[in-house]
Amino acid sequence: MICFDNVSKRYSTGLEALKRISFELSVGEMAFLTGPSGAGKSTLLKLLMLMERPSSGALLINGKNLMRLPRSAIPNYRRQVGVVFQNHQLLSDRTVFENVALPLQISGYPPSETGRRVRAALDGVGLLDKESHYPLTLSGGQQQRVGIARAVVHKPKILLADEPTGNLDPVLSAEIMALFRRFQDVGVTVLIATHDLSLIHNLDHRIIHLADGMLISDGGSASGA
Amino acid sequence: MARNSRLTDLPMRGAKDKKISLADRWKSYIVHHRITLRSAFKKLLMEPVQTLLTVTVIAIALALPSAMFLMLKNVEQLGSGVEASAQLSVFIKKGATSQQIKQVQKQILDLPEVWSVDYISADQALQEFKALSGFGQALTYLDDNPLPAVFLVQPIRLGASGSNQVEQLVTTITSFSAVDEVLVDMLWVQRLSVMTDISQKLVLAMGVSLIIGVLLVIGNTIRLGIHSRKEEIVVVKLIGATDAYVRRPFLYSGFLLGLLGGFIASILLVGSLLWIGQSVSVLAALYQSKFDLTGLGFSGVLGLCALGSVIGLCGAWMAVMQHLRAIEPK
Ligand SMILES: Nc1ncnc2c1ncn2[C@@H]1O[C@H](COP(=O)(O)OP(=O)(O)OP(=O)(O)O)[C@@H](O)[C@H]1O
Ligand SMILES: [Mg+2]
Repeated sequence: MICFDNVSKRYSTGLEALKRISFELSVGEMAFLTGPSGAGKSTLLKLLMLMERPSSGALLINGKNLMRLPRSAIPNYRRQVGVVFQNHQLLSDRTVFENVALPLQISGYPPSETGRRVRAALDGVGLLDKESHYPLTLSGGQQQRVGIARAVVHKPKILLADEPTGNLDPVLSAEIMALFRRFQDVGVTVLIATHDLSLIHNLDHRIIHLADGMLISDGGSASGA
Repeated sequence: MARNSRLTDLPMRGAKDKKISLADRWKSYIVHHRITLRSAFKKLLMEPVQTLLTVTVIAIALALPSAMFLMLKNVEQLGSGVEASAQLSVFIKKGATSQQIKQVQKQILDLPEVWSVDYISADQALQEFKALSGFGQALTYLDDNPLPAVFLVQPIRLGASGSNQVEQLVTTITSFSAVDEVLVDMLWVQRLSVMTDISQKLVLAMGVSLIIGVLLVIGNTIRLGIHSRKEEIVVVKLIGATDAYVRRPFLYSGFLLGLLGGFIASILLVGSLLWIGQSVSVLAALYQSKFDLTGLGFSGVLGLCALGSVIGLCGAWMAVMQHLRAIEPK
């Protein structure tokens, strides 16, 4: 599903945020991306969202090189990818419901189906009673969960999450992780960047460890680095 | 806060049933258009000062050339009315027999453009001249009447192309035998026609430059809107919005601004015409003439609104093309 082949990313500042990264995620696989702050986790996810382009190497999705994607095909690609952003990226002038409905609206879902799906997604993150609130009236953790609901509402093929549990207490974090696992169970490929080692040590999942832009280790949950 | 999240209710089979039918897509597309239109309208109301300013500028820029165009139309109408009432004086050759004169009269009367013909014989003309000129005594010493016989020809009311028809009439009558010369006091009518021609071109030039101004004003308003909604644009692009989706609200804003501008321009014009129309009627009554001011009319109002909308759409399109592509998720 996702294949990094010797991918490097050098920002215009000259900083090399990723250095010759190679790994592969198969369909329905779930992996955690860990590493200290500044290791390049967000950069790696940004490449997958086409927010940044690799400086060298190839990035393949379903065997297709992302860099060869014509501009007109980018929206359709992004609809297949659900993203939980590190900084939520909610629209402050729209209600929680409208925020979560956005991916459905953009993909052209019928309005009759929108309400049902949005409520199911909000229920999944425990925010059904907040649907008519505005994001700025919610706590950081609640905003994060709205972002998660928006990322999963249209049932994407790939789910990317950047620190999805950064502001959540352990119980809520565990629930969100369970939600991601349920997506993995139905065949969604999931990649989660997180610092929260305590959270992932309890789970039996593949961990990709980055440090200073390099891939340090890639394997089971046993140890990390 | 509800912490009893029922994860099991999230429809999970969805990863498979992702295909959305064409009919559903269409329905959702229509609904989205409606939502976008409504929210574009709300956004205009949320920034009343900016909106009012833009709409007023558009309205004035549309109303000004339209008002001048209407004025010209009215002047032209006035001119054609005068042309139609212009009398032709048909001078008969000296020495024409009464037989010939009768025949000319019949020929003239048979012309479809002629309403009536009055005959003034050479003697009558002399009498009139004596009475009016004050040379009465002196003229009695002439042994020969120097004045020709005249037909006064009154054409029917002619349409907009009156000037041409009058000229044609003159040529036709001149070609009749026994007719010496045909005179018509057309000079000022011709001057008027040339002047309206020039004015028309001026109004056109002014209209075009004002329309360009409106395009720029709307473009600028939309540009401000794009910049104030930069973050929103980035987010919807990240979620997979197409360029068309991102463009739509701004095109609607431009359309609405133009439409409102056209509508206000119509109100301004209709209002001032009503106001001026009263004075014109009084003036016309003083001249014992029945002249009605040509107004904007329903089609004129529609036309102005349509023109405003089209210009609004174009202005928004220009702004969107210039600024939207540059905003990419980073
Ligand atoms: N837009 C950018 N321009 C230049 N340098 C950048 C940019 N974004 C990130 N970087 C640099 O790239 C490196 C990796 O950043 P990145 O955001 O990927 O780290 P991270 O692993 O996500 O860290 P954190 O855990 O703190 O979120 C950092 O040194 C950062 O300064
Ligand atoms: Mg990061």
